[in-house]
Amino acid sequence: MKRLIISALKLEDLSPEEIASDEPLFGESGLGLDSIDALELGVALRKTFGIKIETVSEEVRGHFASIRALAAFIRSQPQESAS
Amino acid sequence: MELNFCAVVPSHNHHLALPGVVAALRAHGLLVLIIDDGSAEPAASAIAALDDPAHGVEVMRLAVNGGKGAAVLAGARLARERGFTHAVQVDADGQHDPGALAALLAAAAAHPDCLISGQPRYDGSMPLGRRIGRWITHVWVFIETLSFRITDSMCGFRVYPLEPLLRLTEDEAVGLGMDFDTDVMVRLFWRGTLPVMVPVAVIYPPGNISNFRMWKDNLRISKMHTRLVLVMLARLLLGGMPASGHWAGMAERGALWGLRLVAACYRLLGRRGCMAVLAPVVLYFFLTGTAQRRASRAYLGRVWRRQPGGLGQSFAHFLDFAGRALDVLAAWSGGIAPTALESADPAGLERMAADPRGALLIVSHHGNAELARALMAPSLRQRLTILVHTRHAENYNRIVAGFNPAVAARMIQVTEIGPDTAIRLKECIERGEWVAIAGDRVPVLSAGRVARVPFLGAAAAFSQGPYILAALLGCPVHLLFCTRGAGRRWCLALEPFAERIDLPRIGRGQALAAYAAAYAARLEAQCRAAPLQWYNFFDFWAEDAV
Repeated sequence: MKRLIISALKLEDLSPEEIASDEPLFGESGLGLDSIDALELGVALRKTFGIKIETVSEEVRGHFASIRALAAFIRSQPQESAS
Repeated sequence: MELNFCAVVPSHNHHLALPGVVAALRAHGLLVLIIDDGSAEPAASAIAALDDPAHGVEVMRLAVNGGKGAAVLAGARLARERGFTHAVQVDADGQHDPGALAALLAAAAAHPDCLISGQPRYDGSMPLGRRIGRWITHVWVFIETLSFRITDSMCGFRVYPLEPLLRLTEDEAVGLGMDFDTDVMVRLFWRGTLPVMVPVAVIYPPGNISNFRMWKDNLRISKMHTRLVLVMLARLLLGGMPASGHWAGMAERGALWGLRLVAACYRLLGRRGCMAVLAPVVLYFFLTGTAQRRASRAYLGRVWRRQPGGLGQSFAHFLDFAGRALDVLAAWSGGIAPTALESADPAGLERMAADPRGALLIVSHHGNAELARALMAPSLRQRLTILVHTRHAENYNRIVAGFNPAVAARMIQVTEIGPDTAIRLKECIERGEWVAIAGDRVPVLSAGRVARVPFLGAAAAFSQGPYILAALLGCPVHLLFCTRGAGRRWCLALEPFAERIDLPRIGRGQALAAYAAAYAARLEAQCRAAPLQWYNFFDFWAEDAV
């Protein structure tokens, strides 16, 4: 999951170990990602796990809060065949 | 659906013939709702005396005379509350032959979704003034519906399906006086409630005092027709007949007819002749569109660096907009040869055509990109996919496709870019397509995502959507402009804008603003070169123009 985020968002200066599982992904503290990153992350999730995300809504934002929340979200989704 | 009929009889000061009318309706077992439309004495008392609910006659009194339409609608609403599906409308003055009732009811039972209307056969007792008036109305209605289906629109002897009638009057303002019968019939036609005509005998009983006022009501009816024709023209020219629900197909057929009509006019009269015909219509919108007029003058003032633009120039701006719509229709219908479109940079266009990569094209409301689409080489047109933010544009495109399938475009309707849309567009780009998006309208893709950048001397909100999308798609970006030159020639410019847009994580907002500013500067140059060809008729510089 960490590797996916690093490659999707081109965070090559970070290594997976540097991202804590409960670190906030968005906002001032933590990784400091923004809504455009959220969009790119959504695209990457769609491609890797086949998760359908129509828009990056408030609810989806909650799932994107941290690596841990994201992993839980992905496990809860009915998965189509990854494309 | 179980059909359930009643009768609605509007009366304003008519009471002498009323008992006979009621008796004829009762003979068919119909519940009779008499709507006393603010009658004076002695009619008021005479009408009230007919109230006899035990025998199926009810009187409802409107204290103030609201007009025939208001009375019929009051009756129709009452009828719906009582669970009726259809209402027979009969005039109270006895001019309608009750012998036709059976035929009207039979037609309604056979066509429950249609408006059943009497088709009067006059016996020669009709005054000449009204006869002329009726004829003028016939001609208007032919024009308004582009159809000969409504052979009489003024007969007040009808069977209404209540649901479509009340839905119409809830959605749109209709004439409530003597203009009601025609107005409602034409608008129901537009919505797909077609008329079925049944011959009825009509007499003008001697000594009958008509409530029809020669001047006032004829003026009112003229106004209604002017309004109907303008509404129809506006809907045809500015984006197809508004289509929603079950009447979309109907309206589209109507719009198709309109397109053919305009195309024929264009061939017959030429552009100049068509503009002469359109000028009064444009003048109407110019005079009534205060907000658009103000926006046009403010914009022209900025272009010419003086405040605000004159009324004459603003009218020319409005005319140019109508001319643009006309040119698009002409281009679709083959009225303009493809050679009328020249490339500003033929070598550059050739290079782009030879490049198999997909690209993002940023288009503007300057000039006539739609015309460019219609006239460009088919091999280029086939690569286009257009992003639109309303279903309206899709409907419009479908009408165009019915008119000339060769120039229809692939369209994707999006209001916001989510991951799914981004992936879909990415696939378009990978197939080598050109995705077109407007750069000078904010709502597309980016409500709230705007950059305020200088444009014609003041800060204006420009969408960040195109640049965010370009970064996601990772493809080259071009600007597309198509400007009308002298002598009905158009110039297509496809300018390289960025080979690729990358948004650094730090300073992303500034990077987006810089792209928006670069686009605004190019648009400004276009506006200065051809001021009347920018068609955003709203306050583009407003703080809240988002």
